[in-house]
Amino acid sequence: MPLIKIDDREIEVEKGITVLQAATAEGIEIPYYCYHPALSIVGSCRMCLVEIEGMPKLQVSCNTSIGELPPERKKDGKYDMIVRTQTEIVKRERENVLEFLLLNHPLDCPVCDQAGECFLQDYSYKYGRAHSRFLEEKRVRKNEYLGSNVIINHNRCIMCTRCVRFTREISGTNELFVQARGDNSKISIFEDKSLDNLLAGNVIDICPVGALLSTDYIHKNRFWNLEEKKSICTDCSVGCNILVYSQNNRIFRINARENHSVNGYFICDIGRYGFHRYEDAEKVTSPLIRSDGGFKPISWEGALKEIYEQFSRSKDGEKHQIVGIASPFHTNESLFMFGRLMDNIFKDKSIIGKLPFIEDYEIHFDSGFRISKDRSPNRQGLLDFCLNLEDEILQKVKTGKVRLCYALDDGVDRKLDEEWESFFKSQRFLVVQTYAMTPLAKLAHLILPGPSPMEREGTMTNDQGRIQWLKPSVSLTNKTRPDWEIIMEFMNTVGKRELKYSSVNEVNLEMGERFPSYRGMTFFKIGYQGLPKKNIATSRPSEGGQAGNTVT
Amino acid sequence: MAVFKPILTRYIHRKDSHTLSGYKNVGGYKALEKMFKTMAPDEVIEEVKASNLRGRGGAGFPTGVKWGFIPKDSQKPTYLICNADEGEPGTFKDRLLLSKAPHMMLEGMIISSFAIDCHLAFIYIRGEFYQEYKVLEKAVEEAYAANFLGKDILGSGFDLDVVIHRGAGAYICGEEMGLIESLEGKRGWPRIKPPFPAVEGYLMCPTIVNNVETLACLPHILNRGADWFKSIGSEKGSGPKLYCISGRVNNPGVYEEPLGILLTDLIFKRGRGLIDGRELKAVFPGGSSSAILRADEIDGLQMDFDSLSAAKTMLGSAGVIVMDETVDMVSVCLNIARFYEHESCGQCTPCREGTTWLVKILNRIYQGKGSLNDIDMIFEITDNIGGLIDPEASGGSFGKTICPFGEAVAWPIRSFVEKFEEEFIAYVEKGVDVS
Ligand SMILES: Cc1cc2nc3c(=O)[nH]c(=O)nc-3n(C[C@H](O)[C@H](O)[C@H](O)COP(=O)(O)O)c2cc1C
Ligand code: SF4
Ligand code: SF4
Ligand code: SF4
Ligand code: FES
Repeated sequence: MPLIKIDDREIEVEKGITVLQAATAEGIEIPYYCYHPALSIVGSCRMCLVEIEGMPKLQVSCNTSIGELPPERKKDGKYDMIVRTQTEIVKRERENVLEFLLLNHPLDCPVCDQAGECFLQDYSYKYGRAHSRFLEEKRVRKNEYLGSNVIINHNRCIMCTRCVRFTREISGTNELFVQARGDNSKISIFEDKSLDNLLAGNVIDICPVGALLSTDYIHKNRFWNLEEKKSICTDCSVGCNILVYSQNNRIFRINARENHSVNGYFICDIGRYGFHRYEDAEKVTSPLIRSDGGFKPISWEGALKEIYEQFSRSKDGEKHQIVGIASPFHTNESLFMFGRLMDNIFKDKSIIGKLPFIEDYEIHFDSGFRISKDRSPNRQGLLDFCLNLEDEILQKVKTGKVRLCYALDDGVDRKLDEEWESFFKSQRFLVVQTYAMTPLAKLAHLILPGPSPMEREGTMTNDQGRIQWLKPSVSLTNKTRPDWEIIMEFMNTVGKRELKYSSVNEVNLEMGERFPSYRGMTFFKIGYQGLPKKNIATSRPSEGGQAGNTVT
Repeated sequence: MAVFKPILTRYIHRKDSHTLSGYKNVGGYKALEKMFKTMAPDEVIEEVKASNLRGRGGAGFPTGVKWGFIPKDSQKPTYLICNADEGEPGTFKDRLLLSKAPHMMLEGMIISSFAIDCHLAFIYIRGEFYQEYKVLEKAVEEAYAANFLGKDILGSGFDLDVVIHRGAGAYICGEEMGLIESLEGKRGWPRIKPPFPAVEGYLMCPTIVNNVETLACLPHILNRGADWFKSIGSEKGSGPKLYCISGRVNNPGVYEEPLGILLTDLIFKRGRGLIDGRELKAVFPGGSSSAILRADEIDGLQMDFDSLSAAKTMLGSAGVIVMDETVDMVSVCLNIARFYEHESCGQCTPCREGTTWLVKILNRIYQGKGSLNDIDMIFEITDNIGGLIDPEASGGSFGKTICPFGEAVAWPIRSFVEKFEEEFIAYVEKGVDVS
C-alpha cells in the first residue's frame, strides 16, 4: 500500500485512489465542486488544486491517482507522494477560482434556498477573497423550468456539470446538456424533453450551489430552521436511506442519504416527494367508534373495553373465527407482535392473511439504481413474522362462522375492490389500526390510531434481506400510539397478558430472542446503515421454549 | 551551410501536384514501397526518433517518442488522427499542404499507421476548408484505387482505411482531446489528462494525434534517412518548417525554411519587409497564442522550439504575424482577447470566466473608460488563467486549466500589456475615467 504524506499527516492509502479521495477519507478538506464520487471525473472547476512535490504545475487532486514508487525513487526516502494543501500558492489559487466563480454570481444568499448548505457560500467564507474586484455588469439570465419539479437559476450556476453527467451516467435519460460555449455556456434541456425522469430530484441534491431548485420546496423555509433526521424510505422494498428535514413536526423535504449497500447516493422521486400524500390524507388521531353511520371519538380505555367485549367474551354457542390482516407497511416489531397475538393468543381460532401486495413496474437504471416492483417497504418482514400467512384468505375464511377481524391498515396507498370491501363488511366486528381515513378504515367498527409512516419507528427488512432502522421524522400527535404498543394492549386485553414493553427497542430485543435471524439487530448494532439479516432458517418460533405455550 | 531547397513544398507550384500522378512523378509513395520491403514497425519508430522530428501542431513534442507511448500490451485497436483543423490565427500552412500535397500527407499517414499498428485512421479537417476537403477526398479515392489504402497495401499484408471528418468551426477542436471528443460525436470539450490519448484516446483506445505537416515530413525521413533530416536546421530543431507570414509585410505567404532560421530573415527577406517602408513594432512568432516580441527583441532570434521558449514565447504554429508602427496595440489586444473569449469551450472556471472578464476590461480601456487599476487587473487575470510565462517566476503555478488554451489566452495578452504598457496607460489617460 502506498504511503503518502498530506501536509503533516502520513497516510497509508489504497493504490489507485485519488489524492482528493485520500484527503477526504482522512478528514483533510480539499474544496471541490465538479467532482462527485458517483460521476465521471472532468476536472473542470479547478477548485481542488494542490501542490505535489516533484510536479512542475499544481495538480487537480480529483484526477491525480496515487501509485507506488520504486524504493530508490521514494520521496524523503519513504513516501510515494508528498501533497501540500495549505501552501500560499494553493490558497491563492483557491481564492482565484472562487473569484472567477463569483464574477457573475448574484450574491443573493438571503433569498437562496441553498444558503446554509451551499458550497459556494462555505468555500467563499473559508477560502475566498473578502471583496469583489469585478467592476463590470453581471450576466443576468432568467430562471427556467427544467422539469415539473426542477427550476434552474442560471445566475447561480457554476457550470460544474454534475447535473448533466447525472442525467447521462446515472438516470441514463440524457435530458440535460451544456448549450453554447465559453461564457455563454448554460445548462439547458433538449427541446423535446423535460427533466421528469424518476431520479430527476437528485440533481437538486448534487448541485453544489443554489442553481437547481425544487419547485416543491422553493422559498418555503431556511436550512437552519430545519431539523435533520436520518431514516429510510418506505415507498418500496429497496428502502433507500434518506434525510428528512422538518420544522415543528412539518416535513419540508427529503434528500438522499448515502448507503452503498442500498441506494448509493440517490433516491427516486417517488420517495422524495411521497411524504405529501400523508399530509393530504384525513388523519386519524384518536380512537374512533362507529356511531350513527359515522364515527365518534372514544378514549383508549373505551376502545380496549370494546375490544375485550368483542374478542374475549364467548357468545353462547357461536363459533368464532378471528381474522388477522397483517400489512407489509408495518415494522418488524409490529408484525412480530401481531404474529404473536394471532398465533399464541387466538391460536387455532385465528387465521392470518393480508391484502394483495401493492405492486407496480420494477424499474432498473443502467447505473444500478432500482425501484422495486414491490411498493411496500416490508414484505420480507411480513413473511418472516407471520409464518402462517394465508395467501388466499378470501377463500379460506370459514363460512358459517362469526368473524371478528383485526386489520393493520396498509395506509393511503390501499384501494379496496368490491370483493375485499364485501369481505370486510361481512365481519361482525372490524378493528382497523390506521393513521388515516382510508377506504378500509371507513368500514371499521372501531378505529385505533397509529403512527403514519413518517412517525413510525422500528426495523424494516428490504427485498435484499437487509434490516434497516426506520426512524421517526416527526413525533406522534394527539392520542396516536405506536403500533406495537397498540397490539401489546390488544394482547393484554384479550389474552390477559401483562406485557409492559416500554419502547420499540425492548420489542426488538424480544423479537431477536424468538427469531434467530433477527437476533441482536438492535439499533445500537445496525445503526443508520443497516445490516443483512442473519442467514438462519426461520422456523416456527417458540414462545418460552414450547410452541403454543402461554406468553409471559 | 548549403542552400536550403524546399522539401515539403518543392513541387506545389505544379498544376498537378495534388494528384496521385503528379505526386508519383516527383517520387511520391516511394517511401512506402521501401518501408514495406525493408522495415519493421519498430524500425520506423526508431528512425523517426532518430530524425529528431518534433510535432508541427504547436507543442513541438518529439513524434517518435509520442508513438512510443502506446502501450505494448494493449488489446485494443490503435487509431491515428491527422489534425487538419488548423484554426490558429495567422496560420495557414496545413491548408497549403492539404490543397497542394495531400498525397504527401497521406503517405505520411500510412507510414505512421504502419509504425503504430493502426488500421483505421482519421483526418479531422477544419470545416471551413471545403475546397481542401474536396481535394483531399479525391486524393483518398485515388489512393484507394492505387492500393495505397485499403486491404493488403502493395501486397504487404497491411490494411488501412482512412476516414475524413469535417469539423464544425470550433477552434478548440484542434486541441487533441477536444478533437477526439468531437470525433466521437460529442461536444469539443478537451478531456482531462491523464490518461493521455496514446493510452486512452478515441473511443478510449490508444490514439496518436499528429499535425498535417508532421505527417508530411515522414516520407522524406524514410526516403533520405534520419541523419539527413537531422542535418537540416540546428540541434535545437531539425528539418524543414513551414512558416506563415502575415500582417504588414510586403510579401505575406507560406515559406519553407529550415527550423532555426532567423526571424529577421523571415520578415525582411522572405516577407520582403514592411509595407510602405514602415517600422516594425512587434511580432507574434508562433500564432496568436504566442507572446509577442517587440522589434528590439528579435535581433538574432532563431525560429525553433527552444530558442523561442528561451525568449519567453513559442514557435507554436509558426504563424508569424507582423505589426508595424501604426498598429494600435490596445485594439489588437482586444481583438485577440475577443477571439479567445469566443473560442473558450467554457469548461474550466478560469478560462471561461477570465476570458470574458479580460474582454470587458479591455473594451472599457479601448473606449476610454479604463483606469490604471484595470491594467493591473489584466496582469492578475492573465496570471490566474494561465500562470506566468516563466514557470520559475510563477513558483510552479501554471497549468491552471484542463487544456493549454488557458496559457494560449494568458501569455499573448499579458505580453501586450507588459511590452506596450505605455499605450494602455495613454488610453486610460486620454479617456474619461469612470471610477
Ligand atoms: C487550443 C488549441 C488548439 C490547437 N489547434 C491545433 C490545430 O488546429 N492543429 C494542430 O495540428 N494542432 C493543434 N493543437 C495542438 C494539438 O493539441 C496537438 O498537440 C497536435 O495536434 C499534435 O500534433 P503534433 O505532435 O504533430 O504537433 C492545438 C492545441 C490547442 C491547445
Ligand atoms: S446547475 Fe448546479 S449541478 Fe448543474 S452545472 Fe450548474 S452548478 Fe453544477
Ligand atoms: S427506490 Fe424505493 S426506497 Fe428508494 S426512494 Fe424510491 S421508493 Fe423509496
Ligand atoms: S482551458 Fe479553456 S478551452 Fe481548454 S478545456 Fe478549459 S475551458 Fe476549455
Ligand atoms: S473537483 Fe477537481 S477540478 Fe473540480
